[in-house]
Amino acid sequence: MMKKIIAVAVILAIFATFAAGCGSKKVPVIGISQYGEHASLDNCREGFLQGLKEAGLEEGKDFVIDYQNAGFDDSIATQIAQTFSANNVALMVGIATPAAIACFAAAEDKDIPVVFSAITDPVMAKLDKGNITGTSDKLPVDAQLDLIRKIQPEAKTIGIIYTTSEPNSVSAIAEYEEKAPLYGFTIESIGVTQQSEVTLAVDTLISRGVDCLSNLTDNNVVGVLPSVLEKTNAAGIPVYGSEVEQVKIGCVASAGIDYIALGIQTGKMAAKILKGEATAENMPYETITEFNYYINSAALAEMGLEVPAEIAEKAIESGQ
Amino acid sequence: MGSFFDLVVGTVTQGLIYALLSLGVYITYRILDFPDLTVDGSFPLGAAVAAVLLTRGVSPYLTLIVAMAVGALAGLVTGVIHVKLGVRDLLAGIITMTGLFSINLQIAGSNLAVDRATDTIFTAAPTMALFGAMPLIYRKLVVSLILAVVFKLILDAYFSTQSGLLLRAVGDNSTLVTTLAKDKGSVKILGLVISNTLVALSGAVVCHEQRAFNSTMGTGQVVFGLATVIIGTTLFKNLGFVKGTTAVIIGSILYKACIQVAISLGLPANLLKLITAVLFLIILVLGNRRKSGVNANA
Amino acid sequence: MLELRDIVKIYNPGTITEMCLFQGFNLTVADGDFLSIVGSNGSGKTSLLNIICGSIPVEGGQVLINGEDITKMKEYRRYGRIGRVYQNPAMGSCPNLTLLENLSLADNKGRPFGLKKGINKARREYYREQLAALGLGLEDKLEVKMGALSGGQRQAAALIMATLTPIDFLILDEHTAALDPKTAETIMELTDKVIREKKLTAIMVTHNLRYAVEYGNRLIMMDKGQIVLEKAGAEKEATTVADVLHIFNEISIECGN
Repeated sequence: MMKKIIAVAVILAIFATFAAGCGSKKVPVIGISQYGEHASLDNCREGFLQGLKEAGLEEGKDFVIDYQNAGFDDSIATQIAQTFSANNVALMVGIATPAAIACFAAAEDKDIPVVFSAITDPVMAKLDKGNITGTSDKLPVDAQLDLIRKIQPEAKTIGIIYTTSEPNSVSAIAEYEEKAPLYGFTIESIGVTQQSEVTLAVDTLISRGVDCLSNLTDNNVVGVLPSVLEKTNAAGIPVYGSEVEQVKIGCVASAGIDYIALGIQTGKMAAKILKGEATAENMPYETITEFNYYINSAALAEMGLEVPAEIAEKAIESGQ
Repeated sequence: MGSFFDLVVGTVTQGLIYALLSLGVYITYRILDFPDLTVDGSFPLGAAVAAVLLTRGVSPYLTLIVAMAVGALAGLVTGVIHVKLGVRDLLAGIITMTGLFSINLQIAGSNLAVDRATDTIFTAAPTMALFGAMPLIYRKLVVSLILAVVFKLILDAYFSTQSGLLLRAVGDNSTLVTTLAKDKGSVKILGLVISNTLVALSGAVVCHEQRAFNSTMGTGQVVFGLATVIIGTTLFKNLGFVKGTTAVIIGSILYKACIQVAISLGLPANLLKLITAVLFLIILVLGNRRKSGVNANA
Repeated sequence: MLELRDIVKIYNPGTITEMCLFQGFNLTVADGDFLSIVGSNGSGKTSLLNIICGSIPVEGGQVLINGEDITKMKEYRRYGRIGRVYQNPAMGSCPNLTLLENLSLADNKGRPFGLKKGINKARREYYREQLAALGLGLEDKLEVKMGALSGGQRQAAALIMATLTPIDFLILDEHTAALDPKTAETIMELTDKVIREKKLTAIMVTHNLRYAVEYGNRLIMMDKGQIVLEKAGAEKEATTVADVLHIFNEISIECGN
């Protein structure tokens, strides 16, 4: 008897949750699918909400948000996107490539507009055509190389660790290797397949005598940044981050993207679509070109490095 | 209530596509009694092959066949490593899976997306001729249903042949197979080949559906496969008329339904996986309770 | 006709536990023989069976069947013409397959296992006949999973399965040892019946001296890898359990058991 009650209760609950998804929704729903919890992606989402506000839209009145997090699982991202489509959201937002790809696939049937953010190479992800637009967080490689050259005039080699299966990293490495000679650098890169290999890679780079390390926005590397810094600090090798959170943790400096700014830009684009001022189809995606200098004075001092005045006056002090 | 129906359609479609993977794991885990980790590598292998061929303009249906052939090879490799080189089952699968990670990167890079302009099995002319009138999401359901049912029927038919019976025997009592003058190693290899053929097919269909391959899409798929096989077979343990293959397909759909419920519940996003785990537990407990009920009356 | 010629078997060669079991062992089994092998544990009876079947390799000597040297032949190939019933009833059949499915498997031994139907409906009647002849009621249990049958029933089925297709030898590996006395008796009688009716050549390893004496036309007793007693034909008919037991105790006392 008891198990029958449980079974019926579960089935009713399932019905209820599905039913909750439908019903008349006069206020447009924005479905945000974030690939996973990650400082940059979180900043992106916060910026997005801010961008909607700055464009004059009010939450609850002009839109409601359905935020889902795929926990870095592609098949969950797929189901999240399908849920958005089934619930006839007005707009899908995909933060990070796998989430955006899932949204774009699910949006095809009803031609729901998709806005993406934090995708380094939208062309490679085939997200540059169709009822889709967004912002790209291509790394300001030139600015970073320039920054390193100015802080370490004598340096020759830059070590970079990256995950071979992260698309953002692969294209960033290619750009680094292309541009490094222009600044008089050679790149020593090591590709890893998983997070546990990162610290070994650091040891290898240290033994090769690199003059410094530079980070990409690589989830695996950033995930173990404290251990990386432990080793590089002991060896007296400075590490340049790719965005502000890394500098806060202990990287000496960064010419980095402000993900909140990226999010705001994305939010404004989405607002245009919601207001009917433009369609995703007609809006080409935007690459953020502005970057900020972030420095960690304490870390710099520890390495015996100084930042030239021209940068110091623009830089944002991010050390703790 | 259009959206509820759409939700069901979407969930069932995902369940059916991944049911091919579940059928593959059913063969190795349940029938051969061989925990095969190759799956984490052969699933994305199918997707990689499909992605590359689709972007090169190969017929979508042909991409599925090639993916299956390559999946068969992966199963063969694991089988040879286990049988001829004497490596134990779990490790043999791990070795192949690890090697496949690099091979997949070589085939398709870390990511490969397929343009909307390229036809998939869901949008190609023959499919459109039959089901073009339907909206895309229903078409996806129908095509996935056809695939799942066709391969289920093929498997059922196979298990009733002499070769299929021998396969079932080798997982149940491999000594008997030897006593029947058959090489149990070869029989195991055959099972691994058939299994990974289905797994790679599943990966290829996912690639068609999502229009993308990414090199980490295999991670955890063997866990999914095992979970769906166990859920399916546990739930239908006492309903003898439900074949194992059917139970496993239902298990896959149920799994996806659990995730869908978790998403639709609107609870904090980070709890998604916890909620899914709780739902599994409820299903398994319900399934076990029914079993103990039968025993009490025996 | 089975011949073991100058068999040398060394366990754990080159290690501290090296043990030479057979040092030039010879045995011939003629067609139609029903040979019983008795001996204490470690005497080499089971090793002998394993050597014949190819489960373990030999360090020297030859195994010949009908003049053909099969010493290097893989185990599974040898079973093409050899049937074996194991001590553990569970080893003789697949527990999760039905009796009918097990019989169908055994029926196809020696032929390719292809894509023809696994269960041959036409043979069903034949299986029922074979099972009915055992008198255990198994003919009504064709759709039952083997795991649900008792040890005695499974062993009877294993016996039928082992002799369903034409074989040169039937190897009985202490096949009644795990059964209760009554069931063991039933199985032994069945064994004798099957061997007679199908005119099989059989080798039976047993601990049961009475069976060894009462059944078959040959008896050998082994001790430490050697044959210490051999009886055949009329001489065997005249042998009693007491005679055999006497020798058995003698050798046991000798090595201080």
